[in-house]
Amino acid sequence: MIRVDEATVVLGIESSCDETAAAVVMGGNDVLSSVVATQIEQHARFGGVVPEIASRAHVEAMTPVIRKAIQDSGVGFERIDAVAATVGPGLVGALLVGVSTAKSIALALNKPFIGVNHLEAHLYAALLDDPHVEFPMLVVLVSGGNTLLVNMESHGKYSIVGQTIDDAAGEAFDKVARFLGLGHPGGPAIDREAKLGNAQAIEFPRAMLHDGFDVSFSGLKTAVVNYVRKYPSISTQDVAASFQTAVVDVLVAKSVKAAQHIGAKTIALGGGVAANSLLRQQMTAMCAQHGWRLVLPSMAMCTDNAAMIASAGWYRLLQDGPSELSMGAMPNLKLTDRTNA
Amino acid sequence: MIILGIDTATDAVSVALHDGDVVLASSEIRSDRQHAEALTPMIDFVCKQASVELWDVGGIAVDIGPGLFTGMRVGIASAQAIAQVIDVSIIPVTSLDILAAAVQTTNEVIASVVDARRGEVYWSLYRMSDGKLKQVGKPQIGSPEMCAVDVLDRGQSTLLVGTGALKHETEFRERLNPVLPALEFADDKYSMPLASTLVEIAHERALRGEWVLVDEVVPMYLRAPDAEINWATRSAQ
Ligand SMILES: [Zn+2]
Repeated sequence: MIRVDEATVVLGIESSCDETAAAVVMGGNDVLSSVVATQIEQHARFGGVVPEIASRAHVEAMTPVIRKAIQDSGVGFERIDAVAATVGPGLVGALLVGVSTAKSIALALNKPFIGVNHLEAHLYAALLDDPHVEFPMLVVLVSGGNTLLVNMESHGKYSIVGQTIDDAAGEAFDKVARFLGLGHPGGPAIDREAKLGNAQAIEFPRAMLHDGFDVSFSGLKTAVVNYVRKYPSISTQDVAASFQTAVVDVLVAKSVKAAQHIGAKTIALGGGVAANSLLRQQMTAMCAQHGWRLVLPSMAMCTDNAAMIASAGWYRLLQDGPSELSMGAMPNLKLTDRTNA
Repeated sequence: MIILGIDTATDAVSVALHDGDVVLASSEIRSDRQHAEALTPMIDFVCKQASVELWDVGGIAVDIGPGLFTGMRVGIASAQAIAQVIDVSIIPVTSLDILAAAVQTTNEVIASVVDARRGEVYWSLYRMSDGKLKQVGKPQIGSPEMCAVDVLDRGQSTLLVGTGALKHETEFRERLNPVLPALEFADDKYSMPLASTLVEIAHERALRGEWVLVDEVVPMYLRAPDAEINWATRSAQ
C-alpha cells in the first residue's frame, strides 16, 4: 500500500493538446514548480492545432520541460513519490508522448504511475490555491473544448448538471474573434477589445436562458455574424463587448440555476475561459449576492498546465491507488469515466 | 556496460538488454498500435528476466525510425525519460540500419525497405565488404519505383529486407530481376527491426563513442506533416 499524505510529491506531465507541461506538486496543492512550453506559434499559420505537428513538438519539448520542472522545484528525481500524466481526453498522438514519458519515469524511479483525466484536472486547478472547499461544489468548466456544469459531490465524484448542446464557450470566443479579425487565441483578444466597447450597444440573443441547465452558443455566433454583415460600420469593440456580455450572462444565469439545484456550498471556475475578466467579475458579484463561496483559479492555472495534473494525480492516488503500466492513451475520455477501470 | 535497447518504430514492440558480450534478455511482440501499452511492462519484464535494475544500465539505444510516427515517438520518449532519470546518454539507431544488420548475406548490396504507407517506402542501401556492413547514401522516402532505380544504379546482386520490400515484392521483382545478377528477399521474420539486433549495433557504436545527449535525439521522420505539405503546395501556387 502506498502512503499518500501532505509530504507526497507528484511529478505531473501534460501533453493532451498544444502545451507541453511538467510540474512538481507536494501534498496535492503545494506547487513547487510548473513549467509550460506552448506551441501556439507552431500552429498559428494553420488556424488551429495540427495533431502531427503537436506530437512532434511534444517529443522535442518534453525532456527540457521536465528538466526545468525538476530544477525549479528544488527537489531531485529521488524525491518524486509518484508520476502522473494526462491519459485523456485529447489528441491521441500527443497524449502518447506524455503517457510514455511518465510511465517510463515511474518505472525508472520504481514509483507509482497515475493516469489522470484532463477534465478532472481542470476542476482541481481551482483548488490549488484554495483546497479546503465545502461540497457539494458546482464547477463551471469552460474551455475551447468543453462547457460543463459539474456537480462535484466530493473528491472524485462528479455528475454533469448541464453542458453545451453545440459550441463550447471558448470555441464561440475563437470563432467570433476570427470573424472580427482579432486573431488566435480568441478569448484574450475579445476580452481586450470588449474593455474598450459598449456592452449595451447590441442586444444579442441569450439562448435557452430559462429552460434547463444546458447552454447553446452557436446561435449567438450566427447572430454576431449576421449583425456585422448588416451593419459593417459597427465598432468591433462594441460587438466584442456585447457578445462577451451575452456569453457571460448565460454562464452566470445557468450557474445560479445549477448551484440552487444541487444545493452547492461552493462554486469553482475552471478552463481557459475562466481567465475572462468579465466572467470572473460577474461570478464574483453573483456569488456574493447568493452567499456562495467562489473559488477562482489563478490566471496561469486556467489554461493547460501540469500542476493541475499533479494535483488531480495526488487525489487519484489517495483514492484509487496507482494505474497500471500497461495503460495507454484514452483520447475520448469523459469527465465521468474512470481511468483506473 | 549494460545497454537497454528499445524498438517501437514499426508494428513490432521489442526490448533487449546487452551486457557488452551477449544479449542478456529480450522480448518482442507484433502489436499494431498498442506500442505505449506494451512497452513499459516489457521493459520491466526484460529487466527482471536479466536480473538487471534500470539503475545498472549504462546507456540506452533506441530506434529513431523511419517508421510509424506514433510508434517511434513512444520509444523515443520512453528512452529519453529513462535516460534523463538515470542520467545516461543515448545511442540513436535507424530502423534501416537495424534491418540490414539482422540479415546475413553473400550478396553485395542490402536494401532496407520500410513500408511508409500511401504507396511509398523508406529505404537505404548497404554494401557488404569483408563481412562488414557499410551504409551507401542517405535514408530516403519515395515510391517503390524510385527505390528500385536506386538499387539498379548499383547494379549488384541485392538482398531486400523489410516490410516495404515484402509489400511491393512483385513490383521490385519485375523491375530488378531482369537486370541484377541476383535478387533475394529476406524472410518475413526479418521484416521488422528488433531490439535484440539494435543492442548489438549499439554495443559496437558505444565502443566507438557514438553517444548523443538525451536532448539531442532527433526522430527520423523523412516525411513532413501533411499540414506542412499542403501549406507548401498552396504557397507555391
Ligand atoms: Zn485543457
